[in-house]
Amino acid sequence: MIKKIKASLSEKIIFIFLLSLGIFSLTSFLLIKNKCLFVKNYDPLKITFDNPENIAILNVPCGNVIIELYPNVSPNAVERFKTLIKSKSYDNVAFHRVIKDTLVQAGDLEFGKKGNLNYGKIGTGKSGLGNINSEVDVPFNFEKGSVALARTQKYNTEDSQFFIILRDEPLYETEYTPIGKVIYGLEALKKIKYLDKSQYVLRPDYINTLRMLIN
Amino acid sequence: MKLIKILILSLFVFIQAKADTIYNLIKIPNLEIYEINTSNKLRYLYAKQPFTIGIDNNINCYNSEKKRLDKKYKIIQKNLNKYDQVFLKKINLKYIVLCEELSISGILTAGIPDHKMKTLIIDVKFDSKYFERVLHHEVFHIINDGYKDYFDENEWSKLNDVNFKYTACSTCSNKTGLYVYKEFNGFFTEYSKSTASEDMAEVYSHIISDKDIVELKINNDPILKKKVEFIKKNILKIDKNFKF
Repeated sequence: MIKKIKASLSEKIIFIFLLSLGIFSLTSFLLIKNKCLFVKNYDPLKITFDNPENIAILNVPCGNVIIELYPNVSPNAVERFKTLIKSKSYDNVAFHRVIKDTLVQAGDLEFGKKGNLNYGKIGTGKSGLGNINSEVDVPFNFEKGSVALARTQKYNTEDSQFFIILRDEPLYETEYTPIGKVIYGLEALKKIKYLDKSQYVLRPDYINTLRMLIN
Repeated sequence: MKLIKILILSLFVFIQAKADTIYNLIKIPNLEIYEINTSNKLRYLYAKQPFTIGIDNNINCYNSEKKRLDKKYKIIQKNLNKYDQVFLKKINLKYIVLCEELSISGILTAGIPDHKMKTLIIDVKFDSKYFERVLHHEVFHIINDGYKDYFDENEWSKLNDVNFKYTACSTCSNKTGLYVYKEFNGFFTEYSKSTASEDMAEVYSHIISDKDIVELKINNDPILKKKVEFIKKNILKIDKNFKF
């Protein structure tokens, strides 16, 4: 005959503690794994814009990043950007260069496409539309969220690659061609995958889609 | 012991790939912004720590104390404000790096221009007697690097006496004196005799910073008169609104 033994008070406390610890660990694991948990996803259809024809929606793993483009600042660069957006060229293109809390860069249409990523050449690819001239003469405040076209060490080599800065960079004025600013969703960009030791990202995050609000 | 090893290892693991905006732009490490809100959009940077750059790390410069930086910055800014934004853009000069004991391959130098990187490194500790003029001398090298066709060295050399020959390089002789010659021999300084480009830079720097000497020289020295005309003519080709 098996005698039923009653748990003592201290045993009950230890049991409840272990149970709580288990639940806490599981919850924490799930929360930490979901890097987008606390990132607000903006719905552009619920926002009123002053210039809807210049609003671009960049959809990234943690949601929408809403960019206002400035054709009055850099008409040629914005036209190029819009052309590539309208042809859906930026879809599934890697954020190949990411520096934590500093910048994210994407837009290598040749070597940065999902499924066709070339780690040896990424960052050097072209769009096939040719280079455009730098437009750096209009005063522009390169504050957090500014979007600009990337280039080589030389001016007038802008093409499809662009970057978004996550902190103020006053030295970029007259260096890079600004095309716009993030007006909503900068937090989603801070969650783009980066590496601790390199600016170039192995197994990077991708642009899901990049669309104009009004086609 | 194991704990120490783990701690050291963890230091490497957790060090971030830090972004150095200035390094990314001009490839010189250890710099910080001194002043960027300037009328002609020149960006003044200073060495926070010593830096080494160049082929085989042959260029070195050291950080300067704030008091000296502040004093020399005023002089540098006053002189470089002679150039407007349009001209600076044409000659590709944007960044001024302030440091001290600047040397190239162990030889102390007043400045190192880098046309490609839009940068001029200046030794703020350089001989104060010639400091202001030397700034314009270095600016000329930036100009020259961007407009080699205008400042043709063969054409320039023909302005000299037929028996005169420059040395093979600017540091190939002991002709480094920056004092102005009293005699009228076709050169402003001893250093002018080193190479054609240094001679041009010396002529240019006198035109910009010492009009009285230039006036005296060109009235008594036909070779220098031609040299001054040569420089002025070609600078005006770059920017017809340039004010000497």
